[in-house]
Amino acid sequence: MPSVLRDDIRNFSIIAHIDHGKSTLADRLLEVTGTVALRDMQDQLLDTLDLERERGITIKAQAVRMEYTARDGRPYELNLIDTPGHVDFTYEVSRALAACEGAVLVVDATQGIEAQTLANVDLALEHDLEIIPVINKIDLPAADPELVRREIEEVIGLPGSGAILASARQGIGIEEVLEAVVARVPPPHGDPEAPLTALIFDAKYDAYRGVVVYVRVMDGSVRPGERIRMMATEKEFVVDEVGVFRPVMTPTDGLTTGEVGYLIASIKNVRDSKVGDTVTLADRPAAAALPGYRHVTPMVYAGIFPIDSDDVQELKEALEKLNLNDASLVWEPESSAALGFGFRCGFLGLLHMEIVQERLEREFNLALITTAPTVAYRVRLRSGEVIPVDNPERLPDPSAIDEIEEPRCTATILVPSAQVGTVMELCQERRGEFRNLEHQAGDRVALTYDLPLGEIIHDFYDQLKSRSRGYASLNYELTGFRAERLVKLDIMVGGQRVDALSMIVHRDRANLHGRKLAERLRKLIPRQLFEVPIQAAVGGKIIARETVSAMRKDVLAKCYGGDITRKRKLLEKQKEGKRRMKRVGSVEIPQEAFMAVLQMDED
Amino acid sequence: MTDARAAGRARIRSLYLHIPFCERRCEYCDFVSLPGRDREAEYVEALRSEVRGLAARLGRLELDTVFVGGGTPSFVDPDRLGGLLDEVRAGFVLAPGCEVTLEANPSSTSEGRAAAWLEAGFNRVSLGIQSLEPDILTFLGRVHDRERALAAVGEVRRAGFSRISCDLIYAVPGLDDTRWRSTLERVAALGPGHVSAYELTVEAGTPLHASVRRGEKPAVDPEAALRQHRIAVSVLRAAGLHQYEVSNYAQVGEECRHNLVYWRRGHYLGAGLGAHGHLPAGVGTLVDVPVPPGAIGIRYWHGRSLPAYVEGSRAGVLPIEGSEAVTAADAEAERILLGLRLAEGIAVSRPLGERADALVAAGLLWRRDGRLGATAQGQEVLDEVIRQLVT
Repeated sequence: MPSVLRDDIRNFSIIAHIDHGKSTLADRLLEVTGTVALRDMQDQLLDTLDLERERGITIKAQAVRMEYTARDGRPYELNLIDTPGHVDFTYEVSRALAACEGAVLVVDATQGIEAQTLANVDLALEHDLEIIPVINKIDLPAADPELVRREIEEVIGLPGSGAILASARQGIGIEEVLEAVVARVPPPHGDPEAPLTALIFDAKYDAYRGVVVYVRVMDGSVRPGERIRMMATEKEFVVDEVGVFRPVMTPTDGLTTGEVGYLIASIKNVRDSKVGDTVTLADRPAAAALPGYRHVTPMVYAGIFPIDSDDVQELKEALEKLNLNDASLVWEPESSAALGFGFRCGFLGLLHMEIVQERLEREFNLALITTAPTVAYRVRLRSGEVIPVDNPERLPDPSAIDEIEEPRCTATILVPSAQVGTVMELCQERRGEFRNLEHQAGDRVALTYDLPLGEIIHDFYDQLKSRSRGYASLNYELTGFRAERLVKLDIMVGGQRVDALSMIVHRDRANLHGRKLAERLRKLIPRQLFEVPIQAAVGGKIIARETVSAMRKDVLAKCYGGDITRKRKLLEKQKEGKRRMKRVGSVEIPQEAFMAVLQMDED
Repeated sequence: MTDARAAGRARIRSLYLHIPFCERRCEYCDFVSLPGRDREAEYVEALRSEVRGLAARLGRLELDTVFVGGGTPSFVDPDRLGGLLDEVRAGFVLAPGCEVTLEANPSSTSEGRAAAWLEAGFNRVSLGIQSLEPDILTFLGRVHDRERALAAVGEVRRAGFSRISCDLIYAVPGLDDTRWRSTLERVAALGPGHVSAYELTVEAGTPLHASVRRGEKPAVDPEAALRQHRIAVSVLRAAGLHQYEVSNYAQVGEECRHNLVYWRRGHYLGAGLGAHGHLPAGVGTLVDVPVPPGAIGIRYWHGRSLPAYVEGSRAGVLPIEGSEAVTAADAEAERILLGLRLAEGIAVSRPLGERADALVAAGLLWRRDGRLGATAQGQEVLDEVIRQLVT
């Protein structure tokens, strides 16, 4: 073990289940340490995207250096790495944790431990981090800090006595958190004389400076002018600038072992500085990269199409711009008979998909149709070849298929015992296989199921929430693939197959899915001049049929001198509404219909 | 005066005059109407002054049609109506055979009043019968009863009017098909040359709209509306009244020429509270309406405030509240949305395009002799047909 280099540095993260107060606690730490003057303070300071602030979620990791004089009278340099708080970004969280020696675990005193709390604790323990439990929101009337303390002991196995009682909103317990970080988180270890190894835990694109790479130096040091190499991508760059976050980027002479900061090296594309990759020096490379790097592959795929086909180039440019900051978003051109030209996009998860879609619509002012999300299946052909299929339309002819494998995952669900029955029912309905049930403190149950990922991405979370009255929490982890009897479900509207509505379903559930989807579409497609039949079919066999009856009477009774302007204006408005519909054959299908598969359990 | 102006002036051959007073406001009415006659004298004076002002600016135009609508014009003192028409004759030339229509309600109609209207120069009366069913008249908030309605037709005829129109409303909640058919038959038996049959429209801002929204009154049943529309077409056709517009039926030659001007996108002057007008672009500046470049026509309208109208008129300005330019594209949209309401349809010279072809093939539109029109089936869903065509 190399010697302690600087015992005044503490690198730590804050981990929490969504909404447990992670960002608010970070705000208070910045305030108390004087890192940000009170007058510059705004809520959720580390959440820089509008969407993050609005929705109260953290999407991008952030880092900040705080200076803090502890009660022992010594000044410390505290590096806080804020992590995304959603299962979609588990890998990013794991890399941020790998850059730290400690983690502040925030648990809501009114909610207790939730599925993501557990998942995050597991990640922290994997990296051997010192965990400091903080029971937050103790000022709320519904707070039960003692119960949560017991949960921490029994469920996580950490000494509950070490938990700090806090209210980030009220500023209670903030100093205690800082003191605990100083006292309990070990200072970084490493060898400043060794070849450089720096872990990339995030990167963002700056229009003026190129990619800003967020790093933690594990061994060695790095200075401007040095030639660096990304060990996974093998790309080389010359460092222009290094520095730290205070919280604004502040250049320094160099970054050395144990430090957290940034480097800028004329990198044009975030794909060249992948999260988890190791930065070393080109002239004196490290023998081995840091462990844990993974090539991130999307979990969820969907087609994104402009409603107005003239916007396809704009959509492409918008995706390129998002990619500058978000290397995990992948896409390729797709063409649909129903929706025209668009892009097949791969996302880390449903939240990621929602965020991308929302940013495209808001920041780039595009009107879009997003098709229902799907997972990537593995199709074994009779020829022996195995191909990935992330689009139901690309499923080969059944006669050529030997078998279809679907991705499976292990889902952990924490739920009050009163609702365990209904949640188990949901898991059974979704073809889940029971693995484990464990009673926990506070009358709660931890359920483990093996579930198809394809089922989880179809309205599973909303169903879970509604059936558990909001109390259940979910975490899942991809485990592998398994062959199942899967078939393609086709939808015909007005006698014409609508490719964008096709989906891959389990044979045993095809009839149910077909019926529900047809029914849902009947409700979503407005009456038209003619009767519109809606059919669901598997392998050319009709399994469900619904009809949107024709419009009956639709004509203005009186249209005289004073009505003409009004009528023309109304017509223009209605034309605008029609623009948000997609014409398939002679039928106008509204935007929402293409997402209909997602809400089939609503009725 | 430039040639364009002169040509534009010559294209204005219709005048609409609005009378905003009513005995009481009907539940479904969204026209400008004010209960009572308190301010009748000053209003009619203001209206006459606007007519004078128009004549002064436009020169003595020759008119083919004059329409005095409301409100309830028949509610106004017949002498005052006479004075109003005197003003029109003083400022304009009424062409030979000029159609001069008065809107009347049965409750303010009598043989004596009708004789005075004829004397004043009206030659056509449009009677707001609406229904012969007591409960339906109550629902609509009308002040007359069945007997009064039937009597009014006789009074107008005996006074010497040969051109009579009756307004009826269907799809009123509570009106079943049998009673609607019998209403149509009884009205047709009175022998009017013209009938308007309107589906009840619940307009936003009307008392009826508020009642329906609060759930105090039922909404219109679309199935009943469709059935009763078809009943109107067939009963009136049997009585010799052909459907020449979505809601209008007439013996040949008895069509309302004034309203045809609207539907054929003709030009007209509008005077009085809330009245609209449509002018050729070249004429706009004559009535102090701005004419932006690219406009081929101007639609303008008056405000709905009586004090402001009277005030403006006293100050000698034309009390026009707003206007909009009609571009060539707007005009084409109007031509379709108005023209397809007519049995005669619209003239088409160019190929129709895919959408229209599909609608013809589907039997919703017909095309012959260089014209395009809505079939009976197409007319029932005309608004959607129009939405498909106007893109």
